[in-house]
Amino acid sequence: MSEELIETIKKEFRSDILDEKVSNNEHYFTVNNNAAVHICDYLYHTLNFPLILIFAADERAKEIAKDGCFKIHYVFSCKSDLFIIIKIKVEEKSPGFPTLTHKIPAANWYEREIQDMFGLVPVGHPDPRRLIHFEDWPAGLFPLRKDFDIRTKPPRVKGEYIYRRVEGEGVYEIPVGPVHAGVIEPGHFRFSVAGEPILNLEIRHFYTHKGVEKLFESMSIDKAVFLAERISGDNSVAHSVAFCQAVEKIAGVDIPPRAKYIRTIILELERIYNHFGDIAGIATDVAYPFGAAHANKLKEQVMHLNEKVTGSRLLRGMNAIGGVRRDIGDKKEMILKELDSLQKNFRELMELLLSSPSVADRIETTGRISNEIAKGLHVVGPAGRASGIGGDTRRDHPYAGYPELEFKVPVRKAGDVNARTLVRADEVYESITLIQQALSRLPQGDIRTDVDQIPDGYALGYTEAPRGETLYWVHILNGRIERCKVRDPSFCNWLAIEYAVLDNIVPDFPIINKSLSLSYSGNDM
Amino acid sequence: MFEILIKTLKTGTVTTKYPQKPDIAPLGFRGKPELIPEKCNFCGECVKACPAGVIWIDEENGEKRFTLSCCGCIFCGMCEEVCPCGAIKLTQEYELASKTKDDLLTIIRRKV
Repeated sequence: MSEELIETIKKEFRSDILDEKVSNNEHYFTVNNNAAVHICDYLYHTLNFPLILIFAADERAKEIAKDGCFKIHYVFSCKSDLFIIIKIKVEEKSPGFPTLTHKIPAANWYEREIQDMFGLVPVGHPDPRRLIHFEDWPAGLFPLRKDFDIRTKPPRVKGEYIYRRVEGEGVYEIPVGPVHAGVIEPGHFRFSVAGEPILNLEIRHFYTHKGVEKLFESMSIDKAVFLAERISGDNSVAHSVAFCQAVEKIAGVDIPPRAKYIRTIILELERIYNHFGDIAGIATDVAYPFGAAHANKLKEQVMHLNEKVTGSRLLRGMNAIGGVRRDIGDKKEMILKELDSLQKNFRELMELLLSSPSVADRIETTGRISNEIAKGLHVVGPAGRASGIGGDTRRDHPYAGYPELEFKVPVRKAGDVNARTLVRADEVYESITLIQQALSRLPQGDIRTDVDQIPDGYALGYTEAPRGETLYWVHILNGRIERCKVRDPSFCNWLAIEYAVLDNIVPDFPIINKSLSLSYSGNDM
Repeated sequence: MFEILIKTLKTGTVTTKYPQKPDIAPLGFRGKPELIPEKCNFCGECVKACPAGVIWIDEENGEKRFTLSCCGCIFCGMCEEVCPCGAIKLTQEYELASKTKDDLLTIIRRKV
């Protein structure tokens, strides 16, 4: 299947492919710059493979690559656990590359991110404004270039950011944020309304850019696990597992089966507490405090369980390159008992929540994301699955213990807040059965393999976080991290909110926002 | 409405009396790292392993000084894992709020 596919691509674009490289389940094609758009378009529209990531790397230094060029990678997720990566070279003296956003809307933010961080220009981009840098950031300073010193303190300059405008009689703008009520992170939302219905929403984020990808480059590999763990606080297991898997792939290490199962168990515990938290948030926002209190109680119960099992409420400190740091086999009975109680209580809660007319009235048909929009923006995770996109990394690119365990991937079509709530509820039940299976089949043996020498190389690591597909592309050179690209699911999903709120009323915005469960921190590293 | 009432009565009170009644973290909790000074041999393994860089060894007035700061500690337990002498252990202690950063330092000194 995979070979046929590769042959088809090679036949179709023979003259444009300059080089190819295969490593594990990743097939890299270096192609002519002016053919990249055409090839990506073919993979996306003809072969129907989603574009899951675009990123650049500064490979101008001679020890990294002989050609002395920047590289841009377009990553496609294909059938039979294959990734096709289209690679182009961009020279420093002519930093333009053709934009893909016209063909694949999901390319939008990636290309603007590359423009800000590397100074490579997506020629013909429909929205060439800055994405990550603010107007006070000086021109010509690109943080992810190798010649940019991490300690640089750039001067502030004058500049202006122009928002899209909706004009007409009775149209008002409502600016919300970046500072919000409650202890949440900053983000600006600019609504244009005519009366109550929202005509347009423009989001502006990246208020707390921390330079995490740059920081990775100055950290040793074993310490970087802890950095990955802290990128998105409530998805820490998904991030650290994705990072570890990328490094283990480069090292050619197969971790012990017991470690794989333990990773699976903690990944699913993370999903359960996140979904409980999201359902609690939705209940709060529809003014159903009874449901919120019970959902929060369940979330707290899982966090207590996490603490007993791993020593950390947020399941931190469990992962390491080569496996896990703690065995949890002796906690089996306790986990199973707790899961039974959680399942019973959650079922009761969902019955009450879904039979309440006041809840149904607020969440049904609210914040719809059509399948077409979700596909175009590559909306991932429960939000994508509620809009009829059946993707789930655990099944499409199996890792850890998932290939040996049985689970369903709940998919719904309505694309509204109700569908997103139901998908999460169904996923909780699936997670519970996954943990039960993993515990009953927990293999004997070690929990960690020693990984001493990590050879030069690069690889993708991926997990299905509670919010969706999480990706890491790690490049190791001389035993240190040369480049680490992180793609949190929220980077894909944030743009969907601009569509989800259209024709909804302003008071429904918080529910729509909550139902998408977007991370500020994971989006803006 | 009736179901809600039943569920509420069945659930009862779930909040606890903390802080009047202490809430003790479970065994294996990753809390405040504690030093056992007589076991420490100043080898510096923990200094190398600490991802947050909150352990350091320096010299002052002819004395070797070992400092561990809980201000910035991420409670990962790497120090405990690498220590060859078992001189550092993560404890169940989590109430670490303090008015000054100095309160969060543990220092041991030894003659060179």
